[in-house]
Amino acid sequence: MEYTRKFTEKLSVEQVKIELLNTAYGNGGTFFAKLDPRTLFLWYAYFGIFPWFIHEVMVLIGMFLFMLVTTYVARISPLIIFILCLGLLGQGGYLLIASLFFGGDWTSILPLLILTLKLSVISLASITVFCSMNPEKLSNGLLKIGLPGQISFSIAYGYRMLPTLLEEYHHVFQSFRLRGKAPEKHGFLYINTIAYFIKLAVLSFYPLLLSTAKRARTTVEALETKGSMYGFNHIEVKKLKLAGLKMKKRDYYFLAGSLVYMISLFLFL
Amino acid sequence: MKPIIEIKNVKYQYPGADKPVLNHVSLSVDKGDFVAILGGNGSGKSTLCKLINGLIPHYYVGDYSGEVLVKGMAAEKHKVAELSRHVGYVYQDFENQIVSPKVIEDAEFAPLHYGLADYHERAVHALDVVGLIDQQHKFIWQLSGGQKHLLALASILSLNPDIIIMDEPVAQLDPQHAREIYDILKKLNDEGKTIIVIEHHTEFVAAYARNVILMDQGDVLFKKPVKEALNEVDVLLEHQIYPPQVTQAAAKIGTSGILPITIGEAIPLMASIVECEQNTVHKLRTEDKPLVTFEDVTFSYKTITRERDQVLHDVNLTIHQGDYIALVGNNGAGKSSLMRLITGLVKQEKGQIALDGKDVRKTPPEHLAEIVTYIHQNPEHMFIDDCVKKDIGFYMKARKDPRTEEKVANLLKQFELTDLAERDSRLLSGGQQRRASLAVGVGMQPKLMLLDEPTANLDIATRKHITRILEELKTQLQAVVIATHDMQLACEFANRIIVMHEGRIIHDGTKASVFTNHNLLKKAGLNPPQIFTLAKKLGWERPVYTVDDFIELYQSKEAWDGVHA
Repeated sequence: MEYTRKFTEKLSVEQVKIELLNTAYGNGGTFFAKLDPRTLFLWYAYFGIFPWFIHEVMVLIGMFLFMLVTTYVARISPLIIFILCLGLLGQGGYLLIASLFFGGDWTSILPLLILTLKLSVISLASITVFCSMNPEKLSNGLLKIGLPGQISFSIAYGYRMLPTLLEEYHHVFQSFRLRGKAPEKHGFLYINTIAYFIKLAVLSFYPLLLSTAKRARTTVEALETKGSMYGFNHIEVKKLKLAGLKMKKRDYYFLAGSLVYMISLFLFL
Repeated sequence: MKPIIEIKNVKYQYPGADKPVLNHVSLSVDKGDFVAILGGNGSGKSTLCKLINGLIPHYYVGDYSGEVLVKGMAAEKHKVAELSRHVGYVYQDFENQIVSPKVIEDAEFAPLHYGLADYHERAVHALDVVGLIDQQHKFIWQLSGGQKHLLALASILSLNPDIIIMDEPVAQLDPQHAREIYDILKKLNDEGKTIIVIEHHTEFVAAYARNVILMDQGDVLFKKPVKEALNEVDVLLEHQIYPPQVTQAAAKIGTSGILPITIGEAIPLMASIVECEQNTVHKLRTEDKPLVTFEDVTFSYKTITRERDQVLHDVNLTIHQGDYIALVGNNGAGKSSLMRLITGLVKQEKGQIALDGKDVRKTPPEHLAEIVTYIHQNPEHMFIDDCVKKDIGFYMKARKDPRTEEKVANLLKQFELTDLAERDSRLLSGGQQRRASLAVGVGMQPKLMLLDEPTANLDIATRKHITRILEELKTQLQAVVIATHDMQLACEFANRIIVMHEGRIIHDGTKASVFTNHNLLKKAGLNPPQIFTLAKKLGWERPVYTVDDFIELYQSKEAWDGVHA
């Protein structure tokens, strides 16, 4: 009982909010955060796609080790790593069970391990890149590679709203708790209580949708008065906005270093 | 002077509405003026302001006729974006007009998107004007409500507009911050900007505005210099606008000539009385049974930077049956945290809290909810169903109360919501929402009710209505705690006032002990009701809290003085 309480205290909505925001904004000082977004896009374009086409187990292991190093350097939040591991194990485990069920045998473990390895490389590359770019950098990067202003604005705005929405959700959820009636008995393995909370978690979304629709009206008007439409349609605004983006020596060294590492993997393994 | 805004014979009807919200409005505002727009809810004030930056007719379709000229430009022929460079608008729900995650980015947003190369310098200057320059690298969610309001203002100032419109600048602020924002507006006005505010608080209007526009049901009733306007006491009261307390008092006494609108003006006019009646001592009628006890309670929460922010320090407090408490103090003093701890939704770090004999830490909030109800500052947080009736009945239905229907009908009647029973609570007006949230709370039949700022964001007439409802609630509840900046409400409602400052209770007494303690008022940033200050400055020994008290005392004094003259 003591443990469950400690666990639920850690797992509060407040905590999730803090972790999310830290993932988005908290890594400003790392090596990756100082790179140009284009470098990161280019790097990701390779490490996010090529593992699918590589079948040498040793090369994959080499890539995996490289990803472990980058993930460490990028100082990813433990929560994200935890979720990632959960996802990978779940995925691999379920495929194993499925293969056993449909007449496969234990030899299917090896190919599954290779698949999991590939997925790990790709996932670690993704979190290295996307956790190292704060939303502002990501949106500027996207703007630079030619996506329309509306898309890059939506990303920055989404992050601005995230804490507000979480907070509002929290309020609604609490109102449900205070006005509803929790089950009298926890039930076998807390089943009644868990079912009760899941039901509340789903119900709480409806009021949130309605109130968000209401607040959006002011935002849309404000955007109009702040000249956003003018900005999205004028090239000089884009230039002004992206004036700070520059490829530096650091970017070229990093790309060259990654390239040399990959070539040596193929040559020596 | 040359008019900067001219509105000629404008009529406007929102699509789907059954009558126009503006009826043939004609108006002009001079450059460099400071104008306050008064009017009840639904009088067309906000609509009028949306004409000026072109949101009407460009953004809202609807029946529109007439002409609006802003700096000589016809609003109909210029885009919202063009007009917005000259007209800055701060919304009532200003939080929703902040669009970037960081302070400096939001201030830069408008000049950047208009392609102005010096956007950064402009943003820095604007933040400097409103006093947010030290916060420029913070995230929006690290700011307090008052700071967000200042940011919304800075974000329009960065375009350097000639006209600034603010919709209810002080509705959500404590008195200290309210004065701060008006001082900034005054400074901008001195620099030549034209300021237009929509305002319910006539004391601010008297202190800052130069001209007043009174609106009612889509008509401009008058535009007059502030002194003349606030002297129209009968006209204002007829439209449920309450002039400053000194003006009301002077009108009731029958002062001849022009009525005073500020304390400074009132004193020479009323200074003739020196004697004072015997002071009556208020006695607390608290009974002995404690409903809530706090023992050495500390509370902190984790901030975004993973540091802990200490909100309450060693709080000791006992709430008895029969206590009607006003919890006062600045924004951020810890009032809401104190109340939320009683509900069990958040848990203290150290110390003990007991509610009706139960340990709050160990009892789930669902069970505590049967004893205590918390009414949110924002009523929308309490609406979880799709109509008023269902929202009120939710609690009883969850408990399978066979008399739910009957009880809901009674509550609807008590809170004057019967006609609105089938409407979605979120779409009601501010006052209606507040009544609905109170009905929800009373429907839970608690012993103790906690209310967070029940009169914020309401016009004065609605505020009086809510105050009356709260008064009636005393018979249904064992104890009530109200966190509020509204000192008139505190004086009328409470028999006990608790003052909080930086997470500590610094005073626990009555209105007499609070408002006569000058140092306390200063430390906690409290403003006594204007009429109280007037009586004090007149040298009266007995404190006065309402205009009616003042009149009564004034008349008895007059009679008394008359006898002995």
